[in-house]
Amino acid sequence: MFRATIRKPHVIISYILLFILLFIVVIPFFRMVWDSFIWHFTDIRLARGVNPGAFTVFHWKRIFHSKLTRNVLIEPLFHSISTALGISILAMTIGGMLAWLVTRTDLPFRKTIGTLAILPYVIPSYIHALAWLTLFKNDRIGGAAGLFQFLTGVSPPNWISYGFLPIVFSMSLHYFPYTYLLLSAALTSIDSRLEESGEILGARRSYILRRITFPLVIPALLSSFILTFSRALGIFGAPYFLGSPVRYFTLSTQIYSNITNRVPAAGYILALVLIAISSTIIYFNQKIIGTRKSFVTIAGKGFRTQLTPLGKVRYPALVLIILLLIIAVLTPIILLVWQTLTLYPDDYSLKHLTLLYWIGRGGTEFAEGEAGILRNGAILKATWNSIKLALTASILSGFFGIFIGYAVVKGRGTKLSKLVEQTSFLPYLVPGIAFGALYLSLFTNRIGPIPALYGTFFLVALVCIAKNLPFTGRAGITSMLQIGSELEEASEIAGARWGRGFLKIILPLSINGAISGFILVFITVMRELSLILLLVTPETRTLTTMTFRYQEQGYTQFSSAISVMIIVIVVIGELATRRLTRKSAI
Amino acid sequence: MRKFFTLVLALLLLTCLLMPAVAGGQKESGKKLSPETEAWLKAAKLGKYAEDTFDEAALYEAAKKEGEVNIYSYSSRVFKFAKTFMAKYPGIKVNGFDIDSGEIVTKVLAEQQAKNYVADVIFLKDPATVVHELYDRGMAFPYVPPDLKDKIPPEYRNPFVGHHASVDTFIYNTSKQSSPPIKSMWDLTKPEWRGRFIVADPQKLPEFLEVFTTIVQHSKEMEAEYEKVFGEKLKLSKGVENAGYEWLYRILKNDVVVVGSSNDVAKAVGLASGDNPPVGFTSFSRLRDKKKNPNLKFQVMFDTTPVMGVATEVIIGIVNQAKHPNAAKLLIHWMLGDEKGGRGYAPYYVLGDFPLRKDVAPPPGAKKITDMNIWASDPKYVWENGQKVLEFWVSNLK
Repeated sequence: MFRATIRKPHVIISYILLFILLFIVVIPFFRMVWDSFIWHFTDIRLARGVNPGAFTVFHWKRIFHSKLTRNVLIEPLFHSISTALGISILAMTIGGMLAWLVTRTDLPFRKTIGTLAILPYVIPSYIHALAWLTLFKNDRIGGAAGLFQFLTGVSPPNWISYGFLPIVFSMSLHYFPYTYLLLSAALTSIDSRLEESGEILGARRSYILRRITFPLVIPALLSSFILTFSRALGIFGAPYFLGSPVRYFTLSTQIYSNITNRVPAAGYILALVLIAISSTIIYFNQKIIGTRKSFVTIAGKGFRTQLTPLGKVRYPALVLIILLLIIAVLTPIILLVWQTLTLYPDDYSLKHLTLLYWIGRGGTEFAEGEAGILRNGAILKATWNSIKLALTASILSGFFGIFIGYAVVKGRGTKLSKLVEQTSFLPYLVPGIAFGALYLSLFTNRIGPIPALYGTFFLVALVCIAKNLPFTGRAGITSMLQIGSELEEASEIAGARWGRGFLKIILPLSINGAISGFILVFITVMRELSLILLLVTPETRTLTTMTFRYQEQGYTQFSSAISVMIIVIVVIGELATRRLTRKSAI
Repeated sequence: MRKFFTLVLALLLLTCLLMPAVAGGQKESGKKLSPETEAWLKAAKLGKYAEDTFDEAALYEAAKKEGEVNIYSYSSRVFKFAKTFMAKYPGIKVNGFDIDSGEIVTKVLAEQQAKNYVADVIFLKDPATVVHELYDRGMAFPYVPPDLKDKIPPEYRNPFVGHHASVDTFIYNTSKQSSPPIKSMWDLTKPEWRGRFIVADPQKLPEFLEVFTTIVQHSKEMEAEYEKVFGEKLKLSKGVENAGYEWLYRILKNDVVVVGSSNDVAKAVGLASGDNPPVGFTSFSRLRDKKKNPNLKFQVMFDTTPVMGVATEVIIGIVNQAKHPNAAKLLIHWMLGDEKGGRGYAPYYVLGDFPLRKDVAPPPGAKKITDMNIWASDPKYVWENGQKVLEFWVSNLK
């Protein structure tokens, strides 16, 4: 009986998957824990008696119980949590209201708004931060002020320009589409008959909202809050650019600076703290909502939903939403484009506009002689790297997902199937920068027959594939669930071998369902920064990491120009998705 | 719950079994070089196999066969001298990468460990780190072009060849002020300069850590200066060791603004409008930015006491197992210029960067580095105390 089970194709696939997953998900984690407990060569700067490779609690003591603890651990931890809370609350409010307006009321142009509402999420998150900086930068770090000061002559106070408020505001504008998607899915699935009964019994609209609609969506609200919170916990770009001028650090920025300062063990320990918090939170989410509903794909539901008429507030609401979309989508783009056209940094006057940074020949006094980005070999190479990475990651991750879907669904109910499903979900628990740190820790050395992967394109692709497995795995499982097993059994009865059945029946059917997964991963990877920042080398640079580099060194025109390029590519990708599918998946 | 634990236990066991294969220890072989490195040194004619004569033609031929060279440079001016090199030696492509010094070391270490050799030449600051973390482990080697050996003082080829000395100094905004607003470094700890002193981040840029460490090294002079300015003996704050640390402590408590690059400091000070512009501490050579941007109005404060600035050395090296060693040597020779400065050295023949060759006069308008009132950073002291200064800085940031 056992032997028969072992021979079943999906069981074999499950074991293979498990083995691969072990290597790309589980082992990096344990390796990082290990690395936090040993001396590294670069520790010779930090202490005496360093014996590289030997066990030590030095790093743990240094992070948790030394003069540095307050500024390296406690404050950043507090900041990470408080910004994540702020972002979640604000994003939920905006996203929730938008979701209700679009799905449950008679708001005009609902459909278009639904499509456009996704766009802020599609733009890399740090771009919202940079746009804020362009707008509100004050005298503190740049005698050159931002656009606001340029236009009005009034210098914004520090707490508007940098730190907690800008991070929360700019990131809420980035994350509200995420909460919008989660909540609109929940709202669409409410049976309006419950509300109708309330109406029949004479209740007022506000009462129905309060006592019927709202309680029905509370589990979804809670779940969305938790998912947004764990996402926001790991943001890197915004705190890096908006926090450092006022020395406002978060765990993610501390992880980055410790690793780049060659104290990797400190970075790993902070990453472990971040992972611990994130996992605990997601664990609670699973308890509340159960695994099936944690990733929501919106497919239209059968029953009718009665729309609430908005009456007098109809057009004011529309105006408000248009304003929101303009602020969240158009403004960052316009600001960035304007900045790329400024000849002298931070001089926004119209008489000093130039196309130098786009098509300049290079060799001039400006920007140390680098050519404009459309002529710049390094940047064109980075564009190719970004696209290559996104394509590779999405295709491979998508196929991986299909196999995961097959293994999990065919083996439904068995412990093996559950194991595969849960292991493929693990990367979701780990914030981007921490996951990058895991891979840095593991793949800088050779592992048995596998050569060290540091510096290779393959490593960057691998980390993107691994990080997106939760999505593609879920997409694979969902689409496989929709394929009845009779189809495969029919081919077996007709005498075809398993491989043939899989190739000719299962694969074509599941690819259809997995397309939205492919495209989602493509867009996610195109805008990825924190995940790959620690792993890219000059050869494997992407557009996002080059933006980061230029911004760091104060070459804002270049960084903004590249950001605009990324936005263009990514928005085209997202709108193309809309054409190809009707679903909006996260 | 039990199932969850069994899962975790099973995974743990599995990983323990695989750990030895994965743990990949970091065995250090000490100063002895590995056979691969010896072989490479012999083929590349570096280290103890270095030649005594410089044969440009032969080197050019060999370099053309290699076809290209990768240089990791702390300075974005790499693109400029790359261009002139490629004009002088057609057939050799220079791939310049602009990366901070600290990150250059990190990347070289990772590349060496992974045996994925990309960098050929490294051009960076913080010689102490390069010597202890790279040279001592046989990961980077010096190259002093034989024809320049007697033109470069021995202290600047010890062992890596020094390209130039960069001075970091105090600058002030000149749009409304015609003379420096401060006389002494200790003025910056006074209340009127709260939030108006801008520095570059020592956590990101090791040269600024070198600078701060040098200030700590000269704490006796800092103490004497304090007494001159305030007319009383310096009382150290709690937990502060000496006058150098005290200065760092006080500017941190006085809300010093920390930005990410020397470029940002120059912009912050130079573009300031308004009546209370800040002062900054940045690279002297940022004066060259004024040529490209007439809106930048700042000048160096030459008479600050006890010193106007700190000098740090910029060095060049060749990375172990570099794939294009001959092109690398040719590039280094080009970078060091000639007795008039030279086209290869030209991007650095500017005010604020000091050539180290004995036969080169300082750039027009500049004094000789020995005639300036600066402290020179001492790589040995920096190595032994730099981390301590950094931790002091980090623990007092808030």
